[in-house]
Amino acid sequence: MAINLTSKKILIIEDNASMRETMIHILGSLGGRFLITAESGINAITAMKIDKFDIVLCDYNLLGKKTGQQVLDDARFLKLLPVNAIFIMVTGETRQELVLSAIDNKPDDYLIKPISKDQLSTRIERCTARKQYLACVENEMDSGNFYQALHHCKRLLESDDKKMRLHLLKIQAELTIKIGDFKAAEQLYENILYERELPWARLGLGTVAFFLGDYDQAIETFKDLIVQHPSMMEAYDWLVKAHEAQGNDDNALSSLNSAVNLSPMSILRQKKLAMLADKTDNLAIAHKAYSAVIKLGKNSAQKSPADFAGLANVYLKSNAPNEALKILNQLNLRFQNDPEARLRSALLESEIHLTNGNKELAQLAFGKASVLNEQFSKNLPKELRLNMAKTLYLNGDKMACDEMLNDLVTTNIDNKLFVKDIVNMCDTFIGQNYAMLLIKQVRKELADINNNGVNLFLEGDIKGALDVFEKAIAKRPNNHTVILNMVKIIIHDLKSSKPDPDKIIKAQAYINKAIEIGMPHTQISRLQTELDSFQNATLQ
Amino acid sequence: MAAINFSELLVSSVDDIKNSLATLHALISQLKNNYPDKKPPEFKQLEFETNRMNNSLMQLLTLHKIDLSHFSLTIDEHSAADILEDVAAQQSSLLSLGSIQLLTQSQSDLFCYCDATHIINALCTLVNNAQHYCLSKVLLSASQEGDYVVFCLEDDGTGYPEDLLRSDQKVPGLEDTTTGNTHLGLVYVETIAQLHVKADQKGFITTDNNSQFGGARFKLYLP
Repeated sequence: MAINLTSKKILIIEDNASMRETMIHILGSLGGRFLITAESGINAITAMKIDKFDIVLCDYNLLGKKTGQQVLDDARFLKLLPVNAIFIMVTGETRQELVLSAIDNKPDDYLIKPISKDQLSTRIERCTARKQYLACVENEMDSGNFYQALHHCKRLLESDDKKMRLHLLKIQAELTIKIGDFKAAEQLYENILYERELPWARLGLGTVAFFLGDYDQAIETFKDLIVQHPSMMEAYDWLVKAHEAQGNDDNALSSLNSAVNLSPMSILRQKKLAMLADKTDNLAIAHKAYSAVIKLGKNSAQKSPADFAGLANVYLKSNAPNEALKILNQLNLRFQNDPEARLRSALLESEIHLTNGNKELAQLAFGKASVLNEQFSKNLPKELRLNMAKTLYLNGDKMACDEMLNDLVTTNIDNKLFVKDIVNMCDTFIGQNYAMLLIKQVRKELADINNNGVNLFLEGDIKGALDVFEKAIAKRPNNHTVILNMVKIIIHDLKSSKPDPDKIIKAQAYINKAIEIGMPHTQISRLQTELDSFQNATLQ
Repeated sequence: MAAINFSELLVSSVDDIKNSLATLHALISQLKNNYPDKKPPEFKQLEFETNRMNNSLMQLLTLHKIDLSHFSLTIDEHSAADILEDVAAQQSSLLSLGSIQLLTQSQSDLFCYCDATHIINALCTLVNNAQHYCLSKVLLSASQEGDYVVFCLEDDGTGYPEDLLRSDQKVPGLEDTTTGNTHLGLVYVETIAQLHVKADQKGFITTDNNSQFGGARFKLYLP
């Protein structure tokens, strides 16, 4: 049974000196030679920036500011953990509590203190075996090749390893959702549930209903799950999404509020609550949540100037402009060299001075915002750019506003929720028909480009057609039709010319992009199959 | 002074004590390293008592959560052999200090749906006790009996006292406070067993003195 850790780089994160000693002793007796210790979460992150570890053992209840979960969240967010690394959470309690605050990031295993040598070695051995077994699937997932990952998953299932079976079925179902084949995923979850009522499979079935647009069914499933498993945070998160998709922001807010009460340490959930409360003008909740986000953000890689701007805006909406200005000062101090932060701050400053009736100062702040916007516009988050467009309009710079809105609609034409935000803003501030006309015009431009590319292709000018679509993608990286046509043409090109691995890679990258932006399985699967046939041909 | 919420205070204190206990345990293992060969017999008692305290505190916390309906199991499919291996691993420090033998027995292809954390903790408590009461050996086995996977613990001690013998699937009485023994471990394992449900079948436990070695026998049935 004894494993040998000689070649492994191991990080021990533990604030208690005696515990640390014991861990070092145990790991040393298992052959561990490369052992690094960190007594706080912040030091752990630094250590992970310097070395790539194979095994991380992390205490959950770290003294100081970061919990073990935040260490894991930050490590994943900053991509400090190699795909095949093992992260084990060590805790004093039973694991149910810990799963609470986790959103996406779950450790590979939990260990409950006190830990014996045999326990640690058994767990590390099992985790290693599992990681090795799943490496082919996880590596493809990490590269965004979901069809290939699914293929490996099915192959492993055929080998009928009972120990891995259920775990593989879970990954298979998740991947099937990822590529958008919801009916198949539904069948997979139903088969699992037929065998045994498992909460994750029931949750999966709920998410399938969500993706199929059956929001009532999804909401019922998530609510049932919460009744039976009051601490299942994922069920809350999905319930919130389903309410939002139905356009019922009030219900979404109340579900999210319950979730945050259960897991107040989760910064992402607090952030979401703050934004939703802000949007629905529940200022008291928004104030509380933004304040919590800022506090949690002090020790998190996920801090953002948007949190400060959000809080300042809530103060402004609550008629407390001076409080808002104080928050802006903090924002400026905390993010001195961040253009996004400076733009957010300048925009709000301008609004605050306008509210105070101080036109000159408002104009000055607006001037700052304009300069920053010209320099950095394209790299800024779309919500911020929409806000900028509004401010430009309100300050009388119609041309700049038109240009910005045109670009926003063009790059986000397939993002229904955001287009709705654009329409709302235009309807409120600019005029009823403005957004409608703009969208119509952008759609026409798109159609023209597509027709042009397709015509060139039909005339046999493949290079010309590829050129057209490449330019189109550069300007509209998230447009469904453009990406789809691009893939089709590359595949056609592959059929009529000699095998070319570069073209295959290029087509695969566009297919992955298509999955990433949520294009349905029905549109992609046939192209993937065709591409696979070239890939197999090249291998032979 | 403002009214205190005694229940909350108790829970946070138990948590705190549990952390201290983990540190204590770490200190004991460090001390143990000072004796490379023969370790003083007191270590065995220390190990047994810290295990016992730790298991009890964890069970109290869990039972409290069940009482508040803040609890649900984390069910997954587990290999029975892995569960036995985990129990043996957790008990290994204590075992290494005495002459008691822990044997485990299970087919490699036996799987069961359960909350492994709680089942392992329950079995550890029982094994910890069995080591205290047996003469030389404890057998922990897993097998399939009809629709149930059964974890069975048998020892060669003097067997359960009369008041703990039962096969009627009822929690042994807590009323016997005069002896100072609350049977917390049995209450806990029974409660956890009953939370394991499949359709209309529920988990349960039995206790008798029909061990193949002549001592106590405990069985945990999971659907």
